[in-house]
Amino acid sequence: MKIKTSKLFALSALLLFSAQTTFAQEELEKELAAPAADKEKVSATFKSTKLINGHTNETLYKNELDFKVDHRFGDIAGSNGGIRKFFGLDASTDVRIGFEYGLTDNLTIGLARAKGATAVQQLYEGSLKYRLLQQTTDNRIPFAVTLFGSNTIAAVAANKDDPASPIAYDGFKDRQNWVAQIILAKKFSPNLSFTLTPSYVHRNFTAFRDQNDMFAIGAGGRLKFSRRMALVVDYFLPFRNKSDKAYLEKVSATKFYNPLGVGLEMETGGHVFHLNFTNATGIQEMQYIPQTTSSWLKGQYRWGFSISRRFSFAH
Amino acid sequence: MKNTCLFIVFTLISFAVNAQQILISNNAKVSFFSSTVMEDIEGKSATGGSVIDTKSGNIIFKVKNTSFQFKKKLMQEHFNENYMESEKYPVSEFKGTIKEPINLAADGTYKVTIEGNLNIHGISKAYKTQADLVVSKGTLNASAVFKVKIADHNIEIPKLVFKNIAESVEVRIQATYLAKK
Repeated sequence: MKIKTSKLFALSALLLFSAQTTFAQEELEKELAAPAADKEKVSATFKSTKLINGHTNETLYKNELDFKVDHRFGDIAGSNGGIRKFFGLDASTDVRIGFEYGLTDNLTIGLARAKGATAVQQLYEGSLKYRLLQQTTDNRIPFAVTLFGSNTIAAVAANKDDPASPIAYDGFKDRQNWVAQIILAKKFSPNLSFTLTPSYVHRNFTAFRDQNDMFAIGAGGRLKFSRRMALVVDYFLPFRNKSDKAYLEKVSATKFYNPLGVGLEMETGGHVFHLNFTNATGIQEMQYIPQTTSSWLKGQYRWGFSISRRFSFAH
Repeated sequence: MKNTCLFIVFTLISFAVNAQQILISNNAKVSFFSSTVMEDIEGKSATGGSVIDTKSGNIIFKVKNTSFQFKKKLMQEHFNENYMESEKYPVSEFKGTIKEPINLAADGTYKVTIEGNLNIHGISKAYKTQADLVVSKGTLNASAVFKVKIADHNIEIPKLVFKNIAESVEVRIQATYLAKK
């Protein structure tokens, strides 16, 4: 009986003692509730609302204003470039000044004016961009989906002399052009993001036998190689009607190429600078998708830059 | 029989001690403030987690970097993307000890010294700071204010935006701890 009692004492003493022992840091850490399952949205897939020619999935945050200037110079090489033309810096094929504003975190409206690179010039653009789905860190939503739509109006004086001209406008309706895009984007790692952009361009009025409707697919990517610098690239593949293309190439001696842009992106917090090379002359979707007639292989690529400055009016 | 009773009492005591030994806070408030002539920047999180072992004084404090909220969302994006690199270093944490003993049974206000390592942006640095503890009815309220030098944790600020961000930010912590059930 006595032995039993002492055993009990020992046991209770042991229990008491065990309760008195302190927790080591590692054991203590286990007491911390694991952070809630990651259902966070992936942010900063791209640093800007545009890559080079194409849009990214990014919209502005609520009450943010983005002021952006895009510039494309003349051909660097080829028959229109070289030292005589100061490698294209003497000429500007297109300039675009645009404002975008975040109505909500998911809806951005835009207004822009571009010089225009073809006969269709003095362009006013109104656009809407809506973030439909955002990629999540747990891959429940594996990629982002953003919708983009724009309406571009050409203010250039109509050419009444040549009925085959792309600006032989009869009325206001002829001056309008529409673009619709579904921008699919995925951030594979903090340094690598891609987009795929099925696009549709509708021009109310074009040159004879040029296509009013055109589907295209765009692809783009961003490779971040330092904390603030990245390599950006984008490409568009328009689907053209073969007989119309052959006709235009024969009659007006214009050959169509697919726009390819390669550039360097620098981000400084608030500002995003792009320095790029592209064969596209136009900056608006309704121009560079159906109307790129210059070729990388002929030296018809150009310096381009864009400067974007974001202002926040949130308070 | 008497001894059995004693045993039960002892065990109960031991459990009671055990239950009071670990204090947990799951919604600690952490904020930091950077003030310059150009711009005031403030990030706030209310989802910090912390545990204290009252016997040893060991304390662990963790906060997810992506849980900080800013008035300007672009700042939040820059904070995670450029400065904290939250995808690489998702959590900021402090591991240390409270130098003075904590007695939950005695209500009152205590000033204590906390020593340990603060790990931000993958870089650990020794810190020593004062904290105020308020014990009332078995709960513990802790608050502390200290400064963190950005350069200490290898957080680079480009020269162009240097004037917008202070060299050291003031960190404020407020946590309510409850005994582990």
